[in-house]
Amino acid sequence: MNQLEGLSLGGPISRRAVLRAGSLGFLGITLGRILELEAALGPVKGGRTGKRAEACILLWLDGGPSHIDTWDPKPNSSFKPISTNAPGIQISELLPKMSRKMDKLAVIRSMHTEENNHGVAHHYAMTGHRPSPAMKFPAFSSVITKELGQRHNVPPNVMVPEISAGARDYFRSHFLGAQYDPLQIPDPNRQDYKIPELSLPESLTLERIEARNAFLKLVDGRYRQAVESPEYANLDEFRQQALKMVLSQSVRQAFDLSREPEKLKDAYGRHMFGQSVLIARRLVEAGSRFVTAYDLKRVETGRNWDTHGTNDKQHKDVLVPVLDQTLSTLLTDLEERGLLESTLVIAMGEFGRTYDLNPGGGRDHWCHCWSMVLGGGGIRGGQIIGASDERGAYVADRMVTIGDLLATIYKALGIDWTREYMHPIGRPLKIANSINDETGKPIEELI
Amino acid sequence: MKLSYPADRELLLRTGPKRASRHLVKGVVVTVLILSLSHRDAGSEGVRSNSGEPELVSIRLEPEAVELQGSGATRRFLVLGEFSDGLQREVTSASRLRIADPSIARLGALGHVVSVSSGRTELRAELGGKGAQAEILTLGTERRRPFSFSWDIGGILTKRGCNSSSCHGGVKGRGGFRLSSDATDPAEDYQWIVRGGGYQVLTAEPLGPRNSRIDLDRPEESLLLRKPSFRVAHGGGERLGVGTADYEAVLNWVSRGAGFEGNGEEGLKVERVEVFPSEVVIEEKGKHQLAVTAYFSDGRQEDITGQVRYESLNEEVVRVGEEGLVEGVGKGEAAVMIRTAGRAAEARFGVIGEAIQEYPEVPRQNFIDEEVFGKLRRFHLIPSELSEDGEFIRRVCLDLTGTLPPPERVREFLGSREEDKREKLIGALLESPEYVDYWTFRFADLFRVKGHYRWVHVYWEWVRRSLAGNKSYDQMVRESIAAQGYDGPSRIYLIDNNKPPALERVVAEQFRVFMGRRMDCAQCHNHPYDRWKQDQFWGLAAFYRRVTNTEWAFDNVVFDDPDGHEVNFGEGKSTLSFRENRHPRTKQLVPPTFLDGRVLPGRDRRDLRRELAAWMTTHPYFAQAMVNRMWGHFFGRGIVDPVDDFRLGNPPTHPSLLNRLAVDFQEHGYDLKHLMRRIVSSRTYQLGSRPNANNGGDRLNYSHANPRPLEAEVLLDAISTVTGVPELYKAEGMLSGTAPPGTRAINLKYPASYANRFLEVFERPKRDVVVARNGKVNLMQALHMTVSPTYNEKLGKKGGRIDRLLHRGASSREIVEEFYLAAFSRFPNEEEQAGLESLIQKQSSRREALEDLLWAVICSREFASNH
Repeated sequence: MNQLEGLSLGGPISRRAVLRAGSLGFLGITLGRILELEAALGPVKGGRTGKRAEACILLWLDGGPSHIDTWDPKPNSSFKPISTNAPGIQISELLPKMSRKMDKLAVIRSMHTEENNHGVAHHYAMTGHRPSPAMKFPAFSSVITKELGQRHNVPPNVMVPEISAGARDYFRSHFLGAQYDPLQIPDPNRQDYKIPELSLPESLTLERIEARNAFLKLVDGRYRQAVESPEYANLDEFRQQALKMVLSQSVRQAFDLSREPEKLKDAYGRHMFGQSVLIARRLVEAGSRFVTAYDLKRVETGRNWDTHGTNDKQHKDVLVPVLDQTLSTLLTDLEERGLLESTLVIAMGEFGRTYDLNPGGGRDHWCHCWSMVLGGGGIRGGQIIGASDERGAYVADRMVTIGDLLATIYKALGIDWTREYMHPIGRPLKIANSINDETGKPIEELI
Repeated sequence: MKLSYPADRELLLRTGPKRASRHLVKGVVVTVLILSLSHRDAGSEGVRSNSGEPELVSIRLEPEAVELQGSGATRRFLVLGEFSDGLQREVTSASRLRIADPSIARLGALGHVVSVSSGRTELRAELGGKGAQAEILTLGTERRRPFSFSWDIGGILTKRGCNSSSCHGGVKGRGGFRLSSDATDPAEDYQWIVRGGGYQVLTAEPLGPRNSRIDLDRPEESLLLRKPSFRVAHGGGERLGVGTADYEAVLNWVSRGAGFEGNGEEGLKVERVEVFPSEVVIEEKGKHQLAVTAYFSDGRQEDITGQVRYESLNEEVVRVGEEGLVEGVGKGEAAVMIRTAGRAAEARFGVIGEAIQEYPEVPRQNFIDEEVFGKLRRFHLIPSELSEDGEFIRRVCLDLTGTLPPPERVREFLGSREEDKREKLIGALLESPEYVDYWTFRFADLFRVKGHYRWVHVYWEWVRRSLAGNKSYDQMVRESIAAQGYDGPSRIYLIDNNKPPALERVVAEQFRVFMGRRMDCAQCHNHPYDRWKQDQFWGLAAFYRRVTNTEWAFDNVVFDDPDGHEVNFGEGKSTLSFRENRHPRTKQLVPPTFLDGRVLPGRDRRDLRRELAAWMTTHPYFAQAMVNRMWGHFFGRGIVDPVDDFRLGNPPTHPSLLNRLAVDFQEHGYDLKHLMRRIVSSRTYQLGSRPNANNGGDRLNYSHANPRPLEAEVLLDAISTVTGVPELYKAEGMLSGTAPPGTRAINLKYPASYANRFLEVFERPKRDVVVARNGKVNLMQALHMTVSPTYNEKLGKKGGRIDRLLHRGASSREIVEEFYLAAFSRFPNEEEQAGLESLIQKQSSRREALEDLLWAVICSREFASNH
């Protein structure tokens, strides 16, 4: 394809032409010119249905929190219910800070899923599908990234901290394309926190970058003229994007926690989860579309939400206080910055936990009825959706499926939740897939 | 219930006002196209007229002779014209057709011929002063064709799209009514129609009450007719208008008692369905009628051109009408799928720009070139020139050994004037230690060498020994499938948590990898887009049913328990439980059953996997799958692509080449080196990657070499080689320390135990599944190239290539030349040499300038691709 095509025309510059010009720019046009062209591009538009939330932060509570010890207090919990600033809403006493924030959040107490094992349940929650031997499903985070598009050269989909390759699969875009995969970054609470791919080596000055590009232009010239491959054009685009990311101070600053006041860092909590959520806020503020803050096995305690033993002690001493502190700070922080209306916040795990304690004082996996919370991004807070029975065992009112939840999330972000993608093997995939392959329905009270 | 089927099925089923008028319209369209050709003055054969329009040279009829057996046998004839520009065009509708003796056979619209009485006659065609004829022999015209639900009703359901996989033929059907896709299971369809009820995926029990979908007393009121004629609401809309021939045919069937077969005769067997042409070239906007013929077991044939469903697999290339008229839309190549009851066929179309009359002579090395260049000729594509020597040595070294040739070897090769230097190089590479390294790595991917660090080594060693000794491929696969005891390959059965994986996973994977077909869908339900049945899946799964292992911590033995007794192993495990191989839908125990439904006899069930391995490795799919996989390796695209997705609807681009390669591979004892030598010795493989003016758009026909990204491991090794700085691999997890310095990425036995940022970013497979490397670039890779240590620290490191060259006092000229030989296997041209030297000169630091140049070299397209 002729790379000059589109540039020489006097008419309006198409996005495609500008990108192509950009790839030429990588080889010849100066960096200043790249930035000019970038300004001409404007924000990338996705397939939106109206003005809605712009970004989403997912607090992933890995292992599955006990719903009766958090959002759905019951007599069979060891903890008492407390009232909150939302009339009529009670939550567990383990969440005192959140009790002053419940006007911002909606609680769904009737989540019903069909998988009781971590891997499959996790996959199910992220994709709306059980794993299949025949195909891989994109995570809803990738769908959102694809539908909303990138902003301000900031990586649109980020996951913090990095997780194991196995679990990572549930968060990937698969056939949608690698550009919608999450960029994974290390634990920001670590002393040596640094993102290798965004850390410009000291020896690499602007002059040298330009020298390298001049060399590359010469070295690549002959081959570039002779041989074509569709992947080459993609690489040009990615390289240009990469260069802009590396050179853009605002992008690098988005990942730089040292720019946050110490007091705010304390408020989020000096632990992996707290600092991950803080980074998430920074990224969303800078332009990311979806950030997953992963509440992994805590570095500090070696525990996660999978409390098969000593459930109460762990929920009380380790797990819930961190969530209480971090989530409440996030809501305050977003609100103070005027970002809460444009940022959807979700906190959930892959399922809940059993309503009775096992002999080891633990609670085991429970998918039949559990709770999660969401707020911001236009979600009407201070509401309870659905209800569990008196023990928190089964759905008593208004079952909500993962498909319904996804439909609600998409609607909040202005994405048509009834959309289907065609999988390369030829099977249509609902982006909000519910039980029995129905399309999920948004929860009307929320959005 | 006995049924007598009307003698003139033609009248009952296939005529109607709609159909006739459509033919008429089509005839006009084609005629307009052709008129200007046919009215030109004769006698100017083979030359272009002044206006540049090609001249009609001759016509012929296809077929040239037929034998029509039985009453109402039919056949479609096409008139094909040879034109002065070397193209053959279908001109039936513009031609005048006539049957010599209408008492023997009758002519319908557009070359459709029906037998009338036994005898002999001729069909004559005429166009623009040219003539042609075809012989027609009719016999046994007193013999009526029996009715068949499978064929006649199934054909209508298929043609009308009722049983397509997006409708009632889907996994669960639609609206509670399910049909087998394309009527592949007529007995089942018959049940749902005649007895009623809804299909359930997880059980064979019908869903809901059994209300028949036909009404024998009031046939018109049958649900089977009311729905598709839209007399009651129907999600699929009107499919079968009242009064259409197909509607009448279904009505007639119900009125006559809705039997499964008629006449009390043997069931009607369709032997095959053929389409003419199976491969053809047309121009943009050009048209070509298809002719589809069904052949029956009793020798009868029927023209079913108007009774099948057509689907273009690429509508940007060709479109196809309901009656099989294909139109070229844009340049390229696409297949048209033809579906009818339980059968499918495909026709491949090339849509070309301008016909090439003066086609160059292209030398051919072996049958690969005959096939590939033969098709290029037919498709009016001219292959590129032979690759330059530099291009060739780099390509073949990377493909056969995953290693860049060192500069001295390149100099030697470029300088050699020996005629057979390419052959010699191929021979040397096939016998090199790097060949063993590289193919061990590739086959370790294929056999998924991973798992517990205690025994992954024996598995890796088995792969390596197999490659080093050039073990035949069928032998390797037999050893893998039937592996027992401590054998290296037995470790495949311990990959997941040190115990045998779910048997259904093994079946799907081994079938996909060794047979090239994806059966995964059929685990849970009949495959919606292909012909795989759930029964077939579980029949194969039964062969793995007895796989078990001892689960001793240090000594894990894989074995098949011969007869299923409980065994006491002492340590750790006391009883042996067998997973039952139950069909998930019917809940029946399924015995070991081959694909064709043959159940393994009880006396042969001593060693199930050995039986399976013997069957698999002699099945025609087996050789096909491997030659296709290999072809994909050397060309970046399989003849069927993706390489493990042989499927209806994904036909090969070169079917005959695929077969010849498979037969050749088989005849040479599944010798991998032979296969590779065959491929890389072909001129097709050795073509240059630079397209010519004619073939730039070609991606399917190997008219020029297509660049392929280097695999992550090979790319990292190449960077290490060119910078002269080896990568250090630190072990993690259960292992500690580092791999011996100088270890190449392709030599890591157990990749997952060596974390490496570069390999992560460039998506080294984890061997959790056998994947085709997709070679897609991503943002992280681009970032990595800009700032990562691999692309920065290696450049100037002490002892590296730059360091050594500077130490030696090499001139910039020498350095540029050395970089080019090492990275691109060629000398820089004058422009490159001079430009780069002057650019080096301009930089303030020579050392930094060289580093920046080397960075540019390893970031370039020419470097990161095999081309």
